Amino acid sequence: MASQHIVSSFDHDLEALQAQLMRMGGLVESASQNALKALETRDLELSLAVRDGDKVIDRIDEELKSDAASVLVRRAPAAGDLRTVLTVMAISTHLERCGDYAKNIAKRTTVLAETAPAPDSITALRRMARMVESMLSDALDAYIQRDTDKAEDIRLRDLDVDQMYNTLFRALLTHMMEDPREISYNMHLHFIAKNIERMGDHATSIAEQTVFMITGDMPDDDRPKGDTTAYSSPDTPAP
Amino acid sequence: MYDVSPRDGAVDHKELKFRCKDVQVFYGDSQAIKDVNVDIEDKTVTSFIGPSGCGKSTFLRCLNRMNDTIDVCRIEGQIKLDGEDIYDADVDPVQLRARVGMVFQKPNPFPKSIYDNVAYGPKIHGLARNRAELGELVEKSLRRAALWDEVKDRLDLPGTGLSGGQQQRLCIARAVATQPQVLLMDEPCSALDPIATAQVEELIDELKQQYSVVIVTHSMQQAARVSQKTAFFHLGNLVEYGDTDTIFTNPQDERTENYITGRTG
Repeated sequence: MASQHIVSSFDHDLEALQAQLMRMGGLVESASQNALKALETRDLELSLAVRDGDKVIDRIDEELKSDAASVLVRRAPAAGDLRTVLTVMAISTHLERCGDYAKNIAKRTTVLAETAPAPDSITALRRMARMVESMLSDALDAYIQRDTDKAEDIRLRDLDVDQMYNTLFRALLTHMMEDPREISYNMHLHFIAKNIERMGDHATSIAEQTVFMITGDMPDDDRPKGDTTAYSSPDTPAP
Repeated sequence: MYDVSPRDGAVDHKELKFRCKDVQVFYGDSQAIKDVNVDIEDKTVTSFIGPSGCGKSTFLRCLNRMNDTIDVCRIEGQIKLDGEDIYDADVDPVQLRARVGMVFQKPNPFPKSIYDNVAYGPKIHGLARNRAELGELVEKSLRRAALWDEVKDRLDLPGTGLSGGQQQRLCIARAVATQPQVLLMDEPCSALDPIATAQVEELIDELKQQYSVVIVTHSMQQAARVSQKTAFFHLGNLVEYGDTDTIFTNPQDERTENYITGRTG
C-alpha cells in the first residue's frame, strides 16, 4: 500500500509500532549472539549483560501491546492495516520468547563457565545458533520488506535446525552415558540446544505471520518438521 | 492463527431475493450506475458502502423503484425480485413498495398518532379485515421494531413527539407493517445517537431472521457489525462484493482497501 492515510497521524502510529518492533528485533538478535559468545568465551560479564538486557526486551513487548491496543481502539484499522497491527502483536510475543531463551542460555553459562569446556558440542551449538540467528534476521527482513518468498524460505530452513538439534541430542546423550559425572554439564548444553531450536521455531512463526500480513492467509500447516527427539530413548537407534 | 473465515449467513447457501443484471442508471446525460451485477440473498443483511456520490443510494432506490419519482432518471438492465422483473409494465410500484419497504436517513413519521403511523400502510393495502385485526398488526409491528413497550400507553400521541431513535424505530415499524419481504435502509442511523444506533442495529439483527435487509451506511464499523455481505461502490461501479469478513480483513481490490482503511485512492 503505497498511498497514505487521509489522517496522517494514522500513518505515524503504524510506523511507530513497526519501528519499535524492529528495535526489539535488533535487541533480540544481539542478545542471542551475545549469549552464545559469552558461552564460548566463558565471559561472565557478557552473560550478565544479556540477562539484564532481557528486561528492556520485556518492556518493549509490553509497550508494543499497549500501543497496538491504542491503535485498535482509536483507529479501528481494517484490511491490511488490521493485519499489520495483529502481526506486530504476534511477532512481539515471539521476539519476547526468543529474548527469554537468550537469557536462559546466559544463566546456564554461569554454571558452565566453572567446568572444563567440551569443544565439540560447543562448536555444534555455535553452528546451530548461527543458523537460527540468520533465520531470525531474515524473518525480520522479510517482514520489513514485505517479502513472501523470503518468509516461505525460512519455514523450510527450520528443518535443518531440527536435524542439527537431533544430532546434537544424540551426541549429548552418548556423552552422558559414557561418563555419568558429565550429566550435569551435558544437560545444561542440551537445554541450550533446545532453547536455540525453539528460537528457530519462533523465527519460523514470525515468517508465517509475515505471510499472513502480506496475503491475508496463514501458510498451510504442512511444512516439514524434523525434531524427532520427543520419541527417542537411550535404547532407540540413531536414525 | 486468526480466523478470517466467513461467519454465519455466509456459510450456508441462502435463497436469492434480488437478481440484478447489467443495471445502468442515468440522471439525464450523466451515468450514475454502470453495469452493476449483484445477487442479494434472503434472510441476510447486505451493506452497500462507498464514498459520497458513488451510487450506492441510487442503486438502493432502484430496488423499490423510488427513482421512478425522478423525471430525468432512466434505468436500464434487469432487476428481478423472486424471479419477477420489477420494472415490468404490469408491476404496480405501490404494491412493490409494500413488498420492499424503506427506511430513510432522517426519521420521517407522518404527522399523525403513533397508532396511525403504523396502521396507515395495512389500511391502504387492505391487510386487515377489521379493527381488531388492525390493532393486532400494529402491536406486532411495534413489537418487531422493539418499540411496543415504550409506546403502548400512548399510542394516540403524535409520532413526531417521540425521540429521534424512537421515531426511527417507528418508521421501521411502519415499514414492516405492510409485511414486506425486503427492507431497504438508507443510512438509518446517521441521525441517531450511539444508544439509539445500537438499538436499531440490534433490531436489524432480529429482522434478518425474516427479511432480506439491505443497508446503505457511511459507517464502515456499522457495515462490519451488522452485515454478512458487503458491496463496495466507487464512481458508479460495483467494485467488490463478498462476505463482510473478507471485505474488511482481506479485500481483493485496491480501491476497496484504500476506502476501508481511510487512504486517498
